[in-house]
Amino acid sequence: MSDKPLHEEKPPLFPTWNYWYVLVVAWLVLLIVLFYLFTKAFS
Amino acid sequence: MSSLDWIVLVATLSFIVLYGVWKSRGKQNMESYFLGNQSMPWYIVLLSIIGTQASAITFISAPGQAYTDGMRFVQYYFGLPLAMVVLCITFVPIFHKLKVYTAYEFLEQRFDLKTRTLTAAIFLIQRGLSTGISICAPSIILSSLLGWNLYWTNLIMGGLLIIYTVAGGTRAVSYTQTLQLVVIFSGMFLAGWMVVHLLPADIGFKEALQVSGKMNKLNVIVTKFDWNDKYNIWSGLIGGFFLALSYFGTDQSQVGRYLSAKSVRESRLGLLMNGLVKVPMQFLILLIGALVFVFYLYFRAPLFFNEAQLQRVYATSHGPALRELENQYNTLSTAKQRQVKTLAAAMEKKEETAIATAKNALQATEDKAQQVRSEAVMLIKNADPTGDASDTNYIFLHFVVHNLPKGLVGLLIAIIFLAAWGSIAAALNSLASTTVVDVYKRLYKKEETPEKYMRMSRIWTLIWGIFCIAVAQFASSLGSLIEVVNVLGSWFYGVTLGIFLVAFYLKRIGGTATFCAAIGAEIIVLIMFWLDKVSWLWLNAIGCLLVIGFALILQPFVDRRLSK
Repeated sequence: MSDKPLHEEKPPLFPTWNYWYVLVVAWLVLLIVLFYLFTKAFS
Repeated sequence: MSSLDWIVLVATLSFIVLYGVWKSRGKQNMESYFLGNQSMPWYIVLLSIIGTQASAITFISAPGQAYTDGMRFVQYYFGLPLAMVVLCITFVPIFHKLKVYTAYEFLEQRFDLKTRTLTAAIFLIQRGLSTGISICAPSIILSSLLGWNLYWTNLIMGGLLIIYTVAGGTRAVSYTQTLQLVVIFSGMFLAGWMVVHLLPADIGFKEALQVSGKMNKLNVIVTKFDWNDKYNIWSGLIGGFFLALSYFGTDQSQVGRYLSAKSVRESRLGLLMNGLVKVPMQFLILLIGALVFVFYLYFRAPLFFNEAQLQRVYATSHGPALRELENQYNTLSTAKQRQVKTLAAAMEKKEETAIATAKNALQATEDKAQQVRSEAVMLIKNADPTGDASDTNYIFLHFVVHNLPKGLVGLLIAIIFLAAWGSIAAALNSLASTTVVDVYKRLYKKEETPEKYMRMSRIWTLIWGIFCIAVAQFASSLGSLIEVVNVLGSWFYGVTLGIFLVAFYLKRIGGTATFCAAIGAEIIVLIMFWLDKVSWLWLNAIGCLLVIGFALILQPFVDRRLSK
């Protein structure tokens, strides 16, 4: 395992991990909205 | 099964075992055996996490669940992405920083030996028993559908993977899981494509979705709250969050997967990617079940998908009554075939009144068919009280065995084995690591040579493999095995999560208060289960909150006693 301090482990694509966390939560919200529309559209 | 199916099945399983053995080569020590020298990139961690969670039952049961209850089961996974975020913020950096082999090592550093040992013991009991059941559940279904001997099926289901798990440890487990998932997803995609392909020529994917939707099988989101309803958005988000957090944060079979990553960054990426892909993946697996439902509107479905169970009841005094129900069901199936064609024609012409009329007629016939099926299930229960009266887990494989072309049947059966192997191999590896690190090395033999620890690691992997197969051989009489696994998890997961959350977030609470709180919470969880007042999914959240609450209440008393 890398011996680098934890704060130095930069994430890919974004400057901090917080962006990744927001992305995951936003993706979940988007999926729920899409599933809701899917349910309504085919019911 | 045809000869071609047997060739595909044997070739696929042999290839995976040989690949696992090949990946096991090279000199090993305990760190490489349990942590893979912490060298795994994020995509191997991701696939290993998915392969560990997705057991054979995931691929057998989920399509059947969609067939009977619609796609709302996907909500069960809504809490998982949120849990991945919490894990990345709290659990992962601490586990990596402390360089632990198992999650339970951290508890001794934070609390004391007794809390570590209690949590490790809970894990060993729960995971050991549930892994045995994970071997038995798909074996029962395959042996019933294909007429195989259950004991031999159990032996192959739980035995062949022991070869590479004992030889290669976590590295062999992770790499075989990756290859297994490639085969599994390819096969499931082919199965989904075949369902649509086998429908009448004028019914494409879109039309199949429309019919499925009209029959309420595409009910992905249910917003109505009900304590006793397992699958609505609220139980999925809240109950699913606690379940996922406890499973991924405190169950060594998962913790061992992301501890093998080469850095905190790779662990986090693997977990966050799991948060991104898991819900869509389950959606697609469930969609196959919703499409299989449409298939069985156009073609006659059996009265009960576990045909071996049906034959057993035919041989009893209840046989004539069951025949009568089957005749009624077949008449209704013929009516459904006619009505679904009327519905599809009305939808093509976009005539709203005709669509509503055809839908109501089809739904009324379907309701009658379900009533006949319920009567048949009651009759089966009366005729064979120890038999499995639920056929949900037989639906998808019944479709596979009776409708897919030669070769593909063998591949789909191989997929069931591979999915089982992925989760069982990770479980054996984690059971061995917990036994050796948290019990053998910590409590009995602190100063052994690395070679001795390595040998004990292999021996314990083998012992747990044999134990789980033995559990599987006895588990067939436990009734609905999927429910047994879930219930077993709900007894312990919440309490274990509560211990870890106290450790991470309530710094002033010590080991004695947490230990006593965990014992008290566990007793209450078991009483609540016995009283049967809430769905098992909520027991995870309740157990966790009870540990936190009790620990907060007990700590001042412990402090006072110490100050005296």
